[in-house]
Amino acid sequence: MISDALSIARKEFTDTITSKRLWLIVGVLLLFSVASTYSTIFRVITAFQQAGRPVASVFSAIATTMAYMAPLLGIALAFDAISGERERGTLRILLSRPIYREDVINGKIISALAVISLAVTLSSFAAVSISILLHNIAVTMDDIARVCLFIVFSIVFSFAYYAFSLFISTLSSKSSHSLIISIGIWIFFAFILSAISSLIATAVLGPPPVRSFQAFNMSQRQFRNFTSPSIFPQEYLDYMRREAEISSMIQAFSINYHYTQITSLLFGYATRPIEFSRRTLTSIPTVISTRLIDIVVLIVFPIVFLFASYMIFTRRQEK
Amino acid sequence: MKMDLAIEVENLVKIYGKGGSGIKALDGISMKIPKASTYGLFGPNGSGKTTLISILVGLILPTSGNAKVLGFDVVKESVEIRRRVGLLPEGFGFYDHMTALENLVFLATLDKIPSDQRKKRALETLEMVGLKDRANDKVSTFSRGMRQRLGIAQALLKDPELLIFDEPTVGIDPEGAAEFRNLVKSMNKEGKTILMSTHLLYEVGMVCTHAAVIRGGKLLVQGSVEELYQSVREAKGYRYELRVKSGIDMLLQEIRSISDVIEIKQNENHVTVLSRREIWGELLPLVSKPQFKDAVESLKPIEPSWDEIYRFYQEGG
Ligand SMILES: Nc1ncnc2c1ncn2[C@@H]1O[C@H](COP(=O)(O)OP(=O)(O)OP(=O)(O)O)[C@@H](O)[C@H]1O
Ligand SMILES: [Mg+2]
Repeated sequence: MISDALSIARKEFTDTITSKRLWLIVGVLLLFSVASTYSTIFRVITAFQQAGRPVASVFSAIATTMAYMAPLLGIALAFDAISGERERGTLRILLSRPIYREDVINGKIISALAVISLAVTLSSFAAVSISILLHNIAVTMDDIARVCLFIVFSIVFSFAYYAFSLFISTLSSKSSHSLIISIGIWIFFAFILSAISSLIATAVLGPPPVRSFQAFNMSQRQFRNFTSPSIFPQEYLDYMRREAEISSMIQAFSINYHYTQITSLLFGYATRPIEFSRRTLTSIPTVISTRLIDIVVLIVFPIVFLFASYMIFTRRQEK
Repeated sequence: MKMDLAIEVENLVKIYGKGGSGIKALDGISMKIPKASTYGLFGPNGSGKTTLISILVGLILPTSGNAKVLGFDVVKESVEIRRRVGLLPEGFGFYDHMTALENLVFLATLDKIPSDQRKKRALETLEMVGLKDRANDKVSTFSRGMRQRLGIAQALLKDPELLIFDEPTVGIDPEGAAEFRNLVKSMNKEGKTILMSTHLLYEVGMVCTHAAVIRGGKLLVQGSVEELYQSVREAKGYRYELRVKSGIDMLLQEIRSISDVIEIKQNENHVTVLSRREIWGELLPLVSKPQFKDAVESLKPIEPSWDEIYRFYQEGG
C-alpha cells in the first residue's frame, strides 16, 4: 500500500538528509565545481568571450564535476539500501509488519528520488551562483534554462547509478560487496572504458599517421593551440574522425558517455582534444533533438535496473 | 474443533535452494496449535524451527503443504496474518541511530496503530520489557539483552492475539528471563496464544501448556505438557519422592510389595520410588497409616524433567 511506502520513505528521507555521507558528497561537489571554474575559466574564456558567453565556461566546469559526482551520490544512497537492512536484521523487523515487500523498495526509491533531486538542484544552483558572483559574469534567461535542463539530466544520471547500485544491493547480503561492485562499475565507466575504447580503436585502425606524432607529444594546452586543420594533413584528420567513431561506439555502453554527450552540447564544451570548443551555443531545442538517443538511453537505463531490482526483491524470500 | 485452533499446519515441506535441490529443512510437518495455549517448540540447531516460524508469517514460502494461521492461508493471506500476529524474528536488528522509542513509533506506524496512540503504546511495551527509562536512548548504546527486550517490545506493539517468539530469551539475564515468563503467563491469561521456540528446556516446563519436539525437519511429538509427561512416564516409569525421618524399614518393605514397583532408592532421608504404573492410589493410603504417619514428612510424584522428555523423543520415543 502506498501509505506504507510513504511511511518508509519519510523515515528514509530523514535518515539520509541527516547523514554525513550525503553532505560530504554535496560539499565535495560544490567545492570541486567552484574550484574547477578557476582552472577552466581562463583557458576557455577567450573563445567564449568572442561569442559573448563566458558563463558557458563556468557551466562546463560544473558539468564536468557533476559527471563524476552524480554517480557517487546515487551509489552512496543505494549501495546499502537493501543489503544494509538485511545485514542489520532490520529487514526482518520491517517484513514482519503487515506490509508488502513492494512497500519497502518503493519507500526507498521514493526517498532516493527526493534526496537526489534536492541534492543535485541545491548544489547546482549553489555552484552556479557562487561561480557567477566570483567571476562577475552576466547571465541570461537562456543560461538559466540551460542550467535547469542540466539539473534535470543530472538528476536522471545520478538516479541511473542509484538504480544500478540498488540492483546490486538487492542481490547481495553484504553492503561492502555491493559498494565495491558499484564503485568498480563507476570507475570502469568513468575512467577505464574511454581509455580502452581508444586502445581498441588504435588496434583496429593501426597506428596514426607518423607526421602528427610531434603534436601528440606536446602537452594538452599546447596541443590545443595546434588543433587547426591547416597544421594537420587531411589524412590525420580522417584518422582521428574514424578513431572517434569507433571509440564512441564502444563508449555507447557507458551511461556516463550519454550524459556527457548531452551536457557537452548543452554547454558547448569539448569532450575530446581534437574537437573544437564551440564558439556559439547550440539552441536548446536543437540540443534535445540532436541528443535524443542519449536522452532516451539516460532515461531507460534506470528504468531497466529499477524494474530488475523490483522483480528480484519482491520475489526473494527472507527468513 | 477447527475453530479453536490458532495454527494448523498440514504436511509442510520446505526445501531450500532452487528447484528443490538444497537442504530439506521441513520434512512433512503437521501441527495443531490450540487457541489460548502457550506452545513450546524445541529442537536442536538446524532442526527447522526458524524455517517453520518464517513460513507461518509469510516471510518464506513452503515448498509444499498447507498452513493456516488464525484461519488465514500463509501463502495467499500473509498480510492478514501479520496484521494479527506479533513476531520476534531470529537475528533481528534495530535502527541504531534512532532511540528505542523512535524505533517503536516507526514500527507502530507500519503496524497501522493510529498516530495519536503510537507513542503511548510504544511506551507501554517498553515498560512491559523493563526498558522504559531507556526509551530516549539510542539503540546503539544498548546491550545485547536490552536489544532482545526491545525485540520483544516490538512484537507486542499491536497487542496481537497471537505472538510468535523465536528464541525469546537469548542473551537475557535470568531475572529478565523470569520477567519474560511472567509476561508470557499474563498474556496467556488474557487469552492470547503464544508460540515460542527455545533451547532452554526448563523454560518450556515453566511456562508452556503445550509443546512439540522437532528434529531434522520432522515432528517427533506434540501435545499438551500433561500428555508428554504421561507418555514418558509410561515408557520410563512413574517416580515418587518421599521425605522420611527414621524407622521406615517396614514402610519400604510394604512399598516393595506393591506390584510393578521396580526400584526403591534411599539416600539418607530421601527415598525415590520407581514403578511401572501409577501407584499413587496405593502409596497415599500406605503412608497415611498410623504406624507410618509420623515417619513420613512428605510424598509427591516427580514429573519427568524436560531433559528426559527431550532425550526420550530424540531417541525415537
Ligand atoms: N537460507 C537458507 N538456505 C539454505 N539452507 C538453509 C537456509 N536457512 C536454513 N537452512 C537450513 O535449513 C535447516 C533448518 O534451519 P533453521 O534455521 O530453520 O533451524 P533452527 O531450528 O531454527 O536452528 P537454530 O536452533 O540454530 O536457530 C538447517 O539445516 C539449515 O542449514
Ligand atoms: Mg532458529
